[in-house]
Amino acid sequence: MPATERSLASLLLLALLLCGCAAVAPWERGRLAEPQMALDPDAKQRALREHTHMSREAAAGSAVGAGGGCGCY
Amino acid sequence: MRALAAAALALPGLSPARAQAAEDDEWSFQYGRYREGERDLFGVHSDFDPIEVDNLDFVGRLTLFDRVKVALRWVQDTWSGATPISTAPQVLEGNRPTNPDGVSGATPFLQGDVFLSSDFDPLEVDEFGSVLGTNPQLVHTLSSASPETRNQLDLDLGYEWDAAELRVGGGFSLEPDYESRFVRLGGDFDLDQKRTTLRFELQFGESDTTALLDHDAVPYIDTSFYAGRIESFPSTGRRRLEDDRQDWGAQLGVTRILSRDSWIETRIGYTRSTGYLANPYKVVQVGFIDPGQQFLAPPGGYYAQVRALLEQRPDERNQWTWDTRYAHYLERLDAALHVSYRFFHDDWGIDAHTLEASWGQPLGFGVTVTPRVRYYTQGAADFYEPWLLSQQAYQTIVTDPDTGDIVSITPFDRRLLPSEFSSDHRLSAFGALSGGVSLSMQLARGVRLDGGFEYYTHRGSLRLGGGGEGDFADFDSYLVSANLTLDAAALHAIASGVPDAHDGHVEHAGHAPAGVLLGHMLPAAGDWMVGLRTQWSRQDGDVLHGSRSASDADILARGCGGEPCTNAPDRMDMLMTMLDLMAAPTDWLNLMLMPSFVNMEMALRPLDGAAPDVHGSHDHSTGGVGDLSMFALFRLFDAPGHRVHAGAGLGVPTGAVDRKHRRTHQESRGYTHYGMQLGSGTWDFLPSLTYTGRSGAFSWGGQASGVVRLEHENDSGYALGDLFQATAWGGFALTRWLSASARALYTLQGSIRGEYDRPHDVSTPMDLPQNSGGQFWDLGFGLAAGVPSGFLAGNRLSVEWLQPLQDDVDGYQLERTGALFAGWSVEF
Repeated sequence: MPATERSLASLLLLALLLCGCAAVAPWERGRLAEPQMALDPDAKQRALREHTHMSREAAAGSAVGAGGGCGCY
Repeated sequence: MRALAAAALALPGLSPARAQAAEDDEWSFQYGRYREGERDLFGVHSDFDPIEVDNLDFVGRLTLFDRVKVALRWVQDTWSGATPISTAPQVLEGNRPTNPDGVSGATPFLQGDVFLSSDFDPLEVDEFGSVLGTNPQLVHTLSSASPETRNQLDLDLGYEWDAAELRVGGGFSLEPDYESRFVRLGGDFDLDQKRTTLRFELQFGESDTTALLDHDAVPYIDTSFYAGRIESFPSTGRRRLEDDRQDWGAQLGVTRILSRDSWIETRIGYTRSTGYLANPYKVVQVGFIDPGQQFLAPPGGYYAQVRALLEQRPDERNQWTWDTRYAHYLERLDAALHVSYRFFHDDWGIDAHTLEASWGQPLGFGVTVTPRVRYYTQGAADFYEPWLLSQQAYQTIVTDPDTGDIVSITPFDRRLLPSEFSSDHRLSAFGALSGGVSLSMQLARGVRLDGGFEYYTHRGSLRLGGGGEGDFADFDSYLVSANLTLDAAALHAIASGVPDAHDGHVEHAGHAPAGVLLGHMLPAAGDWMVGLRTQWSRQDGDVLHGSRSASDADILARGCGGEPCTNAPDRMDMLMTMLDLMAAPTDWLNLMLMPSFVNMEMALRPLDGAAPDVHGSHDHSTGGVGDLSMFALFRLFDAPGHRVHAGAGLGVPTGAVDRKHRRTHQESRGYTHYGMQLGSGTWDFLPSLTYTGRSGAFSWGGQASGVVRLEHENDSGYALGDLFQATAWGGFALTRWLSASARALYTLQGSIRGEYDRPHDVSTPMDLPQNSGGQFWDLGFGLAAGVPSGFLAGNRLSVEWLQPLQDDVDGYQLERTGALFAGWSVEF
């Protein structure tokens, strides 16, 4: 991994850890509960997009546990 | 609170079939279509259709017990079209026109001679051999493929604690040339009042490749690198590559609520793959510069013999990924911004970056629109080369100077070639930009429809930092999808108000057996029904002429009209899947929409005494979207114990009627057998009249239905025959939730009118219109189960086996073996 990418990764990880200081109580999570804020708002569409990307790109693999077939075409 | 719990607890799906909480139990059915644009062949037009894929995805998530969840997923892909088999200099004319109008539709040309400049650039020469100049342009060589279908089944089980969840799952994926089995183990751990969730997943998969090498191309492909792994079948000319691979994967992730308005997730993953990791349908073209042949070279240049070698990839691959996603809620707009970044690195030398953003905007009335954009860029694999040059002879032949007999043939020295090589453009350096929009609509309480569209463009020039592959590998594609989701909890709440479900008596006796369409109407205005039907049928008996078995000599002489037949059908399987959507706008009117998807396979056998025909050694398959049916049902009579309704339907010709045989053995066989086309190709009128009755545990019914073709011919020049069916059944409730049925069915099917108005092969009886239609008698035996109470109340499962009693066919046709119907439906 080149140095710039390592730095970017470290910065993002650091940001993630530092952000933990803001405590959000369970009753304050109403906005996070909006459907558009879900972690995967359209899981099946996303799975389909990733399936087509997997058969057309080299880096989309690693879906070992999800099958997906050969994608040999 | 349900969505809140999901947001606080759930992590994005590493596994696609994650079990959900009871209130998240759901059924969903998705259809997707992927299609590529035509490849640029630089002046040559190919008559091969581009790649297209039809995808079905059915998911059911259920709570088995309080803390035990199960998720079942069935995926089916059917794909067909032309795909690059290799890359070569344009001057080699790998897609050379074979028709006078300049259209290529022939064997991919993988061998030839190329003249090179002193800098090894390909030279353009005229028909007299004069050099016109260099032409460095490369181009893909396309090869067609027959439709293939992949089926995948997944099962996941999950157990939830208050602050943790453990999941175990697995499944298999089957396609004609590739089978894989996989298992996974994953878990979530909630920390810090569920502000943080840790997640892990471990995966293992094992896959077998059993690939029949390209019929057209295999005589011209050097497979010496795969000695011992390719089995030959001299009688048919087939060559089959067999090998296997293993994949291990592990992911570790953390999701953190950052504020009242945002969350972030990051995860790392590692995958190790070993075994056969190459693509059995890709070759690399190598220009062999034979020092002994350079007298043929242009002045100052070189002469190269081009040969094709099956691609050779490393047998090991280690991949690392790092994903980060962030979402932010914008209160003023009630919108959500999602951004994500993914870094990928592997030891094949590929680094890739993916950046994605979407904007989820609710518009009111249960509608949410989500535009999205994605950018992807990757470097090339270390062993990627569009084509290769090697300064040696492809083979050295030594002859006896006196007799001229060949004394020895020495193949090329492998050590002078790279140990691995591939010209698969997916391993080249390129970038891809895609964008699209998703639309989510709440149709009714508990029913949601999601639609999606994505346009994707692959360009060498889009690679981040430049240096991407040339424009010969560029292509565009689009993906559309529609997904219907049923929320089991909401439907249960509605079903609780339905008397039949509420009081523990399921009205299964009022339904017709599984194989009967339009067998019942919804009870009241405002009701809905959603269901899924499958029909699997097989024909593998004798070839009949009328109702008697025909001998091979009879079929040969008379089965193909004036020409002798060479082959007969040995087996034909059909799987049809239909989605049932039904609504009752009024008490007396129901409306139905039934999209269908079909897959068919046929095996031929050579006829005794017939001229040899390699066509007989192949299995054929087709698949994709079938015809769409729309119905209106009218209640005519409704008294206690007796009901009558009439149906008027329209068959919409959404199924293709232009499917062709795959080119084999350098021959184009044109359109496939009539019975292998996916639809009728005509607009059809579908009338029906149905009577149902019940008394206590007994039920009975009868139906007359038909199909009347509204057009004389479809786009391919013919029309299927009209159809009439009459059926009567009786049922008995074995328990309050289970009933059994018996049924008799008579079918009168007209013969095909007209015939293909374009090239098609006639080598079997199924290639002639007169060998279609007839009269058929069947007996059906069925079971139906309705869930009387609980959260699945209102769900209904039914199966029926249809056993042929008698076939009286027109012409020569394959005898039927039986059909299995299975259906699931839920009313609310």
